[in-house]
Amino acid sequence: MSEGTEGRGAEVAVADTDVTSSTAGRVAGTEPGTADPRTLTRRERSRRWVRRHHLALLLTVTLGVAAGVRLVNLGSLGFNSDEAVYAGQAGALVGNPNYVESFPVFRAHPMLVQTMLSIFFRSGEHDVVGRVVIGLLGVLTVYVVYLLGAELYSRHVGVLAAAILAVMPYHVVVTRQVLLDGPMVLFSTLTLLAVTKFAKSGRLTWMLVAGAMLGLTMLSKESSIVLTGAVYAFFALTPQVRRSVVGTVIGMTVAIGMFLLHPISVSLSGHSSTAKAYLIWQLVRRPNHPFTFYGVTVPSAVGPLVLVAALVALWLVYRNRTPAWREVLLVAWVLVPTAAFTLWPVKGFQYLLPCAPALAVLAAQGVVAAPWRLPGAVRQMIGGRDVSGRALSAAVGAAIIISLLVVTLPRLAPTPSATGLAGSGGIPGGRETGHWIRAHTPEGTVVMTLGPSMANLVQYYGHRDAFGLSVSPNPLHRNPSYEPIPNPDYALRHGDMQYVVWDLWSARRSAHFSEVLKGLARRFHGHAVHTEYVGSGADRRPAIIVYEVRA
Amino acid sequence: MRTLRAALMAVAVALLTLVPAASYASEGHQPKTPIKHFVFLFQENHTFDNYFGTRPGVDGIPAGTCMPVVPGTAKPCVKPHWIGDDPIVDLGHTRVQYDREYNGGKMDGFVAANSDNGRDGAIAMGHYDDRDLPYYWNLADNYVLFDRFFSSAKAGSVANHMFAVTATPGVTGRSERIPPEGWGDLPTIFDRLQDAGVSWKFYIENYDPSINYKTRDRVELVDRAAQVIWAPVLAYQRFVEDPELNKHIVDLDQYYKDVQHGTLPAVSYIVPSGDSEHPPGRIQAGQRLVRALVNELMRSTSWDSSAFLWSYDDWGGWYDHVKPPSVDSWGYGFRVPALLVSPYARKGFVDHETSDFTSILKFIETNWDLPPMAERDRKANDLTEAFDFTASPRAPVILGTERDVAPRERPKTGPIYGAYAFALGGSCGLFLLARRRTNRLGPHPKALPTDAVISRRDRP
Repeated sequence: MSEGTEGRGAEVAVADTDVTSSTAGRVAGTEPGTADPRTLTRRERSRRWVRRHHLALLLTVTLGVAAGVRLVNLGSLGFNSDEAVYAGQAGALVGNPNYVESFPVFRAHPMLVQTMLSIFFRSGEHDVVGRVVIGLLGVLTVYVVYLLGAELYSRHVGVLAAAILAVMPYHVVVTRQVLLDGPMVLFSTLTLLAVTKFAKSGRLTWMLVAGAMLGLTMLSKESSIVLTGAVYAFFALTPQVRRSVVGTVIGMTVAIGMFLLHPISVSLSGHSSTAKAYLIWQLVRRPNHPFTFYGVTVPSAVGPLVLVAALVALWLVYRNRTPAWREVLLVAWVLVPTAAFTLWPVKGFQYLLPCAPALAVLAAQGVVAAPWRLPGAVRQMIGGRDVSGRALSAAVGAAIIISLLVVTLPRLAPTPSATGLAGSGGIPGGRETGHWIRAHTPEGTVVMTLGPSMANLVQYYGHRDAFGLSVSPNPLHRNPSYEPIPNPDYALRHGDMQYVVWDLWSARRSAHFSEVLKGLARRFHGHAVHTEYVGSGADRRPAIIVYEVRA
Repeated sequence: MRTLRAALMAVAVALLTLVPAASYASEGHQPKTPIKHFVFLFQENHTFDNYFGTRPGVDGIPAGTCMPVVPGTAKPCVKPHWIGDDPIVDLGHTRVQYDREYNGGKMDGFVAANSDNGRDGAIAMGHYDDRDLPYYWNLADNYVLFDRFFSSAKAGSVANHMFAVTATPGVTGRSERIPPEGWGDLPTIFDRLQDAGVSWKFYIENYDPSINYKTRDRVELVDRAAQVIWAPVLAYQRFVEDPELNKHIVDLDQYYKDVQHGTLPAVSYIVPSGDSEHPPGRIQAGQRLVRALVNELMRSTSWDSSAFLWSYDDWGGWYDHVKPPSVDSWGYGFRVPALLVSPYARKGFVDHETSDFTSILKFIETNWDLPPMAERDRKANDLTEAFDFTASPRAPVILGTERDVAPRERPKTGPIYGAYAFALGGSCGLFLLARRRTNRLGPHPKALPTDAVISRRDRP
């Protein structure tokens, strides 16, 4: 028997054991070698019940933890700029008077998420509610990852993959915010599940489902179109998987048709030119991060041990010389977006989030399938006793989850700090500044901010018009939603703007405009009327300063 | 004993004398209305029709108006026309000019009176509208615009400024010059306020304390000598020389500081410098000044108890169609624009009551319980119809310089909700269908075997 065959046999055996044991227990109601249940004590019956349902229990606990880390302390920080925009769009869509004038309904992205959120944004100001909705969709994603792991490998892998994603800082942090990426990852994972089911069942209806789910993924955020490359790569690299021309055409048609709902609905609602303006802008945007951005930011957010475990899964395939279709699918789901977004000049912290479920499943498979054995020295230390491979797998899995929790838990009660990465959390003091502006400035006040991000927060929380000083007058170099200030000096001199807001994060992005803004504040008799701080003790420093100015 | 009795009597008399005085002073500190801060700004040289004659809902330029080039001759004539960015000149605005335009009550001399010395008198029929004065028009939409507010004197700046502080023309005869010795003992509203212990200030833009009635004729100061006309207190010996009085006369910069620090006095008079809107200056500069002053007040803690009124010291030679009522030998002059901004001002209200600059004095005197200074202010309308003191103060609204800003167009939301509901519902339906189909039919015959692993060897 060759090595390859041995490896395949071992892999199948692991899966079969899992399926067989659970099925046998379900059918017979007893376990081999155990006594008649009527003769068991209550404690023994409880143990037996737990043994039989331990995966369901673990999954329930996992989902509970997933919900906990996504929903606890959601209101500690206010929205960041992107959250304010999406929530503002949702409010404007449903006719919330606070946002109808400040936020255009159509901006850069399709409207699936904003449309879902709009149900909760009919009136008033909401940040926690929006985050709860996204958080719950994140929990649903955790469950779908369980289904995916169970479909691809086994329920053990499914549960462990779900547990990994449940506490993975990358997914937790993003699904605690009103961003499009959380729901997008739910639909992309459903796409992955549908492709898996198609590969296993060969039923074309799953291709339709995959197309529909891919369509929903793109309706959440159009950049997910790169995942079509992952689907293509999978089918191209696994000729053994049934490929039907009809099925492929129908699946693609469904996906494209689904995505076309966006421009069609935009057109029917009378704003056909909006999408074109954004497309042009997206194509000519300047790079906002270096080429190495994802290499620096994502591994720590995913968890180094998760990456190692995923590599172990791949190493097992290499060692056994069995390049399996499942790994091809998962690796394609990770590599294609990573390569695409690395090459794409505009980068964002959360852009690689669709890779997270695939990585979680791979890592779980690495942990479950690896032939864990205690080193001899360790065995000697514990008195020569041996520990089963399954127990060691559980220990390694627990270690991974703990390593993720160590990073995740501090993020649940963030202390206002001076470091801030777009998409990684709320802006300290942004909500408070907006509220101060709303309470202390007359209606009709117009605010000059350093950048458009703070302008979004002032508009969302302050209900005042705000314009970013750093917004380029060149239409090719600015987001079409943002209006530039053609002549800031003129605007202040003529009293068209009455307040100037400086913030630390925008200042870090552009020291030049920070100096210009401070110069304008000085020139127009600016005096600070409100300040928000970050840090404590010696590190305490102003993060946001509101200046009242006059000509 | 006799000495003691005399002393006691003296103390009693003194007490009896002081009690009413003390009670008067304390009453004088308390305004009778919620207005604790009254600000009056005096701009220059425009008529009501010149600024608001085309505004709907006011006593504006009558349809079919055409001013004869030669008074008494219907044709040729000049129709009112929009000035826009066309250059303008400083039209005559003396008593003589007034009489020529008034033409014995025929009101048909506006073009003729301005057609001498090679000038084109048609300019007098020019007017502005909301394209030129969007902020003023926006304020009128939200606060009070007076359309029967007359200049107090059928004359130029000197007499009208004096009416605004003394309720008299100050000058005698047809003279419009400040007497070399100043205005003497003529009482002013500031004397009344000072005596009553009510705080006041006279803010002068670009104030130069060295320019007063004694120095204004010096060659090096003559260019800025108008300061003494616009601020009549600078033509009073006591206001110039008595530090207790003089300290109330300050630069306009102090206004912003006072508003900011909550030290705005009860009564403030403001006169501008270069941005007075006096032709041929740009009217937009004056609008900018008013906007800055009003916005500053709106942003302050004083807003809830303040009223800001501004008007124009004379008609500047421009056409106005309303024949001024005759109240005495000095007035009234032609109508001038006047607007009131206050949290108690009626919203979008056009005040049709007949008022003049002495109405401002009357309001101050009524509010702070001060005695009138002359017949004019005694009889004047006190402006209270412009306020609604039964309502709670309105929150400030900073108004822009755009007119008729269309609300953001809301898209039709039906297609959006419909499209996304279809997408979500359809996808869920497909998912359930696929699951049911797979459960019912099982895997396709060509499907991968369950848990199959594709090795290189298995590849075709």
